[in-house]
Amino acid sequence: MSKEKKQIHFFPAHKNELLKTLGKEKLVAALRSMLAIRNFEIRAESAYQQGNVGGFFHAYVGQEAIQTACVDVLGQKPWYLTTYRCHALALLLGVTPKEAMAELYGKATGNAKGRGGSMHLYADRLLGGFGIVGGHLPLAIGAAFSIKYLKQGSLAVCFLGDGAVAQGAVHESLNLASLWNLPCLFVVENNHWGMGTAVERAICMSPIAETLAPAYNLKGYSVNGMDYFSCYSCFSQVSQEVITTQRPAIIEAFTQRFKGHSVSDPGLYRSKEELKKAMEEDPILYLKAALITAGYMTEAEYEAIDKEERARVVEAMKFAEESPLPDITTLEEGVFYGR
Amino acid sequence: MVDNKGMQEVEMREALRQAIDEEMTRDPRVVVLGEEVAEYNGAYKVTKGMLDKWGPTRVLDTPISENGFAGLGIGAALTGLIPIVEFMSFNFSFVAADQLISNACKMHYMSGGRFHVPIVFRGPNGAAAQVSCQHSHCVEAMYGNFPGFIILAPSNPYDAKGLLKSAIRDPNPVLFLENELDYGTKMQIPTEEYLIEIGKAKVVKEGKHVTIVSYSRMFTLCKAAERELAAQGIDVELIDLRSIKPLDIATVAESVKKTSRCLLVEEGHQFAGICAEIGFQIQQHCFDFLDAPLVRICQKETPMPYSKILERETLPTKEKIVRAVQEMMR
Repeated sequence: MSKEKKQIHFFPAHKNELLKTLGKEKLVAALRSMLAIRNFEIRAESAYQQGNVGGFFHAYVGQEAIQTACVDVLGQKPWYLTTYRCHALALLLGVTPKEAMAELYGKATGNAKGRGGSMHLYADRLLGGFGIVGGHLPLAIGAAFSIKYLKQGSLAVCFLGDGAVAQGAVHESLNLASLWNLPCLFVVENNHWGMGTAVERAICMSPIAETLAPAYNLKGYSVNGMDYFSCYSCFSQVSQEVITTQRPAIIEAFTQRFKGHSVSDPGLYRSKEELKKAMEEDPILYLKAALITAGYMTEAEYEAIDKEERARVVEAMKFAEESPLPDITTLEEGVFYGR
Repeated sequence: MVDNKGMQEVEMREALRQAIDEEMTRDPRVVVLGEEVAEYNGAYKVTKGMLDKWGPTRVLDTPISENGFAGLGIGAALTGLIPIVEFMSFNFSFVAADQLISNACKMHYMSGGRFHVPIVFRGPNGAAAQVSCQHSHCVEAMYGNFPGFIILAPSNPYDAKGLLKSAIRDPNPVLFLENELDYGTKMQIPTEEYLIEIGKAKVVKEGKHVTIVSYSRMFTLCKAAERELAAQGIDVELIDLRSIKPLDIATVAESVKKTSRCLLVEEGHQFAGICAEIGFQIQQHCFDFLDAPLVRICQKETPMPYSKILERETLPTKEKIVRAVQEMMR
């Protein structure tokens, strides 16, 4: 079996240009978004350890630059779908830390009234948090189908993990999307691990997007998912291409999750050295350094933002704790719409 | 064929086609997709002529990709359209089962009511003529185990048209089960528009000795059995469920309280089947009224064999129904 590694063509970052065009305000806001996610995940995980959160819990720590850049580029225009690692996208799309945390706590005030939990968060433009690996791709092309049918001139953005690429639903969705010219942007967040199985042991190709896309007559891109600037550049160009050409595209964002697959994962498959090396690429520290060098912020200002975001999450935890549990008489409500 | 009393004689497939066509006229969000629905005019000709009338933006041939196009339909339903997805056989829905089970029927509840899924999956269910093990399964018991689906199974063209129109207008996921052997069944139906309410069983014939409950093609066998039993002096009350979920147990229970005997007939397998559920509910509601144990006739516990004689042996038949009722009345 040949497993020759092909060269990865990383999308150019255009860092200096973006520092200028985006400017201080937008970039500091981006860093704040990433800190909001980081703080949410860390505090929520501690709430899990304390027994306030149940079920499965998958943190986005380490991957923050990708979805932050995507939503900074595209805002509320697309339909979005993602995996069970969905807290970040929900927060970026306007879900408050309070309603997200309350959902994790299983409270009536939660984002999905305590019916969905950690893996199923929603926003006006977020169709979910989906729990079956790869099962949401067909839905994403359906959203793109609606956009095309209703002539909305937008696109659907679908995040998936590297592990999902082994699923048949991915093939069926790429084939249909290409065949029917559906404006869908697939974003493979390659964090190198499908639970505890290394990507090399699960997926026969590398890089994924660049290798897979041509088979479907599509364009595939690789991007450094630890670098906000690269992600921003890549999402700007590729989403525009998708909208203009009405053709789907695939982006593979190379990233690192700093936590286990889920909160119950002791991470025995990954050495301490490997994890340490991964964490050196921290997307938050990278953006912070760029902003300090550019004179957009000081270390003290960074600390202040971090502290503010931490306080917001602590407040969200208080809100979640104090929120009422779902009324058990509502258990059987909402199975059907309007019935 | 239209006569001058506001009635027309149509086959089942034409009744279904009219329902889809009328709803496409009424609502521009309705689209039809599935294998061979457009250029081929439908594997069973239910969508005959629709591509010519509505064009390829609203009537779409899909690749052989059930997981992909079933999910595409659900995604489109979540974002503003009303898809009618045809499965060439509901047995092919099994490769799309994740889309039906994990997405279609759970989205509304799972999202705390934020999103809903107005979609109809339709196509032939169950056995046809010797199509063997992998094309003959009845799916209603399996999908009936998942809260969130509406499951309809009409037995005649009149019900089929009215129920399909209601299904398309319903904001929830509907599994609309047809039968290949029924597509050519003819019946007089109104030319005027009509709807049939979801969740209402129909007492097709009143009787005093025994209640027979069934649905879809098996109901036709029950009707034939009823005529034979009538000739023997046994007065059968016939109930066509039409809607499996929601189940109109009130109509069934009212009948059983009157007749005190009940036979349940189902094309699908016996274990954990629809009859098992209805039977349980009957004993809950009618325990003190029953004069005899409930009896059910279902498909035996084997995959569907190919050979004609074996296929006939495993399925309910008119003769089995007649015999069962005779024994109950002894």
